[in-house]
Amino acid sequence: MIKLIGLVPLFPLIGFAINGFFGKKLGKKLSGGIAVLSIAASFVVSLLVFMELNGIANKSQVVNLFSWINSDTLSIPFSFLVDPLSSIFLMIITGIGLLIHIYSLGYMSHDEGFARFFTYLNLFVFFMLLLVLGNNYLVMFVGWEGVGLCSYLLIGFWFKNTEYNKAANKAFIMNRIGDLGFLLGIILIFFTYGTITYGDVFAKAHTGSETIITAIALLLFVGAMGKSAQIPLYTWLPDAMAGPTPVSALIHAATMVTAGIYMIVRSNIFYSSSEDASEIVAVVGAATALMAAIIGCVQTDIKKVLAYSTVSQLGLMFLALGVGAYSTAVFHVTTHAFFKALLFLGAGSVIHAMSGEQDIRKMGGLKKALPITYLTMGLATLAISGIFPFSGFFSKDEILAYAYEENKALWFVGSITSLLTAFYMFRMFFLTFHTSFRGTAEQKHHLHESPKSMTIPLIILAVLSVAGGLLGIPAAFHGSNWISTYLNPIIMHKNPSTLSHETEFLLMGIATAVALVAIYTAYNVYQKSNVLPAENEKDMRPFERFAFHKFKVDEFYAFTITRPLNMFSTALGKFFDNQLVDGFIEGIGVVVKWLSGVVRQLQTGNIGFYIFSMVLGIVAIIFWSILK
Amino acid sequence: MKGLFIICGLGIFAMLAEIFKGFGLKKILQPVVLLGIVVAFVLNILTEWNNPMSISYFNNMIVFDNFALAFSGVILATAFFWFVFANDYFENSSDVTDHFALVLFALVGALMLTAYKNMTTLFLGIEIMSIPLYVLAASRKNDVKSNEAGFKYLILGSFATGFLLFGIALVYGATGSFDIMVIRAKISAAQGGLPLFFHAGVIMMLVAMCFKVAAAPFHFWTPDVYQGSPTVITAFMSTIVKTAAFTAFIRLFLVGFGGISEKWEMVMAAIIALSLVIANVTAVSQGSVKRMLAYSSISHAAFMLMGVLAVQPGMSIPGILYYTLAYSVGSITAFSVLYNVSKDSGEGFEGFNGLGKRNPVMAFCMAVAMLSLAGIPVTAGFFAKYFIFATIMATSFKWLLVLAVLTSAIGVYYYFKVIIAMYFKPADKTEKVPVEMQVMLIMIITTLLTIAIGVVPGYVIDMLGNSH
Repeated sequence: MIKLIGLVPLFPLIGFAINGFFGKKLGKKLSGGIAVLSIAASFVVSLLVFMELNGIANKSQVVNLFSWINSDTLSIPFSFLVDPLSSIFLMIITGIGLLIHIYSLGYMSHDEGFARFFTYLNLFVFFMLLLVLGNNYLVMFVGWEGVGLCSYLLIGFWFKNTEYNKAANKAFIMNRIGDLGFLLGIILIFFTYGTITYGDVFAKAHTGSETIITAIALLLFVGAMGKSAQIPLYTWLPDAMAGPTPVSALIHAATMVTAGIYMIVRSNIFYSSSEDASEIVAVVGAATALMAAIIGCVQTDIKKVLAYSTVSQLGLMFLALGVGAYSTAVFHVTTHAFFKALLFLGAGSVIHAMSGEQDIRKMGGLKKALPITYLTMGLATLAISGIFPFSGFFSKDEILAYAYEENKALWFVGSITSLLTAFYMFRMFFLTFHTSFRGTAEQKHHLHESPKSMTIPLIILAVLSVAGGLLGIPAAFHGSNWISTYLNPIIMHKNPSTLSHETEFLLMGIATAVALVAIYTAYNVYQKSNVLPAENEKDMRPFERFAFHKFKVDEFYAFTITRPLNMFSTALGKFFDNQLVDGFIEGIGVVVKWLSGVVRQLQTGNIGFYIFSMVLGIVAIIFWSILK
Repeated sequence: MKGLFIICGLGIFAMLAEIFKGFGLKKILQPVVLLGIVVAFVLNILTEWNNPMSISYFNNMIVFDNFALAFSGVILATAFFWFVFANDYFENSSDVTDHFALVLFALVGALMLTAYKNMTTLFLGIEIMSIPLYVLAASRKNDVKSNEAGFKYLILGSFATGFLLFGIALVYGATGSFDIMVIRAKISAAQGGLPLFFHAGVIMMLVAMCFKVAAAPFHFWTPDVYQGSPTVITAFMSTIVKTAAFTAFIRLFLVGFGGISEKWEMVMAAIIALSLVIANVTAVSQGSVKRMLAYSSISHAAFMLMGVLAVQPGMSIPGILYYTLAYSVGSITAFSVLYNVSKDSGEGFEGFNGLGKRNPVMAFCMAVAMLSLAGIPVTAGFFAKYFIFATIMATSFKWLLVLAVLTSAIGVYYYFKVIIAMYFKPADKTEKVPVEMQVMLIMIITTLLTIAIGVVPGYVIDMLGNSH
């Protein structure tokens, strides 16, 4: 089956082609069916590949598809690498992708861009699969750019709204900055090692000087910052919520934004060989986690809360990478994919029921009308808050344990983040589902549970969110930590935990206690005392207002970067471009056109002249080449 | 060789169909020809590819080695596309079968040119290919321009043939053989001691071949003949004929005269430089897309010649092959769109105005073809140029590279004029531009091919890689 790995991205590509060319003519049923079927097919193949890989000893299978670029100095095959890391991502992408495709059938059923939506979504899955399957950095880069493009298209999916288009542009531009870093990293790798194929690069990695390795690691990290929304390139992700909710679930929570983590885990040798780079990754991750969690506490848009929560959780994953816990980061990617996809899909179900309302201040008391959504989202909220024995508990505690071992300050920041996470998640949960309904009478009249195509994915994801922890039961619980063992072959420098089980239990206890306190506080404030987030900015306390405005980071960027850049480019454009460059270029154009008119005169249409000039040519050539 | 026989048979079949009109053979002619081309293509690959046993015929006068088979493959594939899109040219003219037979015999000449190993078969190939073309160029009998095109082509073509024959005679006089391999052996044995008239012969053959591939200053016939001929015949000339003449060029100069390259490479470089400048500069001020494509074909000939200049025998021929493939596929798309547009609104640039609205699929195909001919990435044309540039970088003719890049930039201007007309200029009419279903299909296939071989160049190169 591994030999047929090419089929995995091929199916979505076929789905994309069919829907792209004929989607509108096929009708919603058929085009949606094709889209879902194509992902289902690649899920089945992925599953078979995954099981086969589990059964064989050699866990690094390279499948050559064809030679892609082939010239004297540069030879890049188009080949895939099936190994533990890519197979886990394969399962996440096709598995969660399938659930979200099914969910979208119901969610997008009234949208006129139905076929276009599935076209983009299939294309996204194709590129995401390329990203994780490629056996060299160039294939990864193609996937990397491709998912960026699809993300852009899907954020601006409702392109008639200018705000949404701006959000799409912002995401695209921020990602471009990251991509530039990634590209420079790849070029530096090529120049240092003369190859960009993973196996060869990693085998030679130690031959580079430490400065070079740090530079490569940092450049790659810049790419990861953009894709995975880390400080300072994180501001696009909350705005990306302009896209349809299934997109937020698939692209901006479960898969694409974790590409940065994938890339760093893939290149882990550079990070484990460079302490400086690792430290920077850890600090940036921790800072992002904390900052996004604080902002998340005061947001009132249900999707924005989840978006900041995603940024914050991604920060935790980078914290894990920075302290060398690569397999733990992948573990958290996996559990996070389960519960965050569920949260977004649940939020989508709520928004669907509320006829498009996203403000949690206008919701409340929805548990009766939406029992399945209520229950499944409740489980996901418990999971993300890190309550035993839900999946988030295991992955988050493993991160905190590694952080504690490496640096107590990082552990402290991580713990505060967990506290805030539990708080804002339950704040959102209580405001949405408990207390009494605060929307309009008309909205109340329309309240309904979502159709089966939407609730079934919710239920499946809820099961995964609850049980996902089984993938990595730590030794302290007499578990074997399957995911860590499984990923072991691709981690170049192992970093086993040396904590005693007692310390580990203590840390878990602290984390649980902290989460329970946060939940109780949220319960007290929002459920018992019925406090509502301020309707009016004036009613906010200063820090709250500051956080509500996302610490004014957007304004800061506008003031320090966008505006000066605009001014500079306007000035440059007016003088340099309009006067000098245009003058010069147009001058060339005028000269060429004039010359063209002159040379054209030679084409007289007169045969005699043609023969005469040929003879002249021949005579000249013979004189020049023979008689010289 | 089997492919060659099949195409000969098809030609004879087409003539018989004309003689025995009563049997209704004319109706099945097109499907039979298409089928025949497919069979020829498949047989070539199945029986002769990588098969050293059965490649040499008639005392080494024709040799179907992998080189010949690869270029034959490109020619046959192009011919297949051509016959589909040219269908209504045959239907609209009164004596269809004659035209079928003429085109098929020209195709026979083209296939011979890929496989000759002897100067007599070279000459035969060129004449078998050219004579039907003189007639075809003039095949729109009531059109003065078409008649003029045929006439000009004949006179100038005979003139070039004269040089070719004279050159062959001189080379024969110096070496005592028509066989390319013997000539090659003589050159290396003589070690520069060959008489002066041998070099004169080589230069004369170079001139004649330059005429056939339309390189400056022997290109004057091209714009007039290309414009005057029926558009489908122009398409035939600028793809199949060009590829064939070019293949003959490669074999003659890389294999035959490769040993004395220092005698002809400066001349060739000068011809390339002149072609690049004249073709690209003159194309700018053309008002007719057809004439613009004629100049574009001169510029592409110069690029392919750069490939000849840069390679040593056995090296990087796949790169040139890739170029001919990319160029042929892109040109077929461009000409089939042009043909259908010109039936509706003329051959000028303004005929393309608003095509993006009037027939979006056709406009898209044309846009891809233009991007490919201009050498913009993701299309085949980009890597085609890239491979040529990469080989020329390794020679002492780096200045040609600079010139080629500069003139390519000019090329972007006139190719984009078509794209701008299609998408940014309002149309005079609003109704759809009609296209036959099968022609549309061919456009889409060639367009997808253009993109596909641009996305996976290494794969194509590897596939062609066995051909030297």
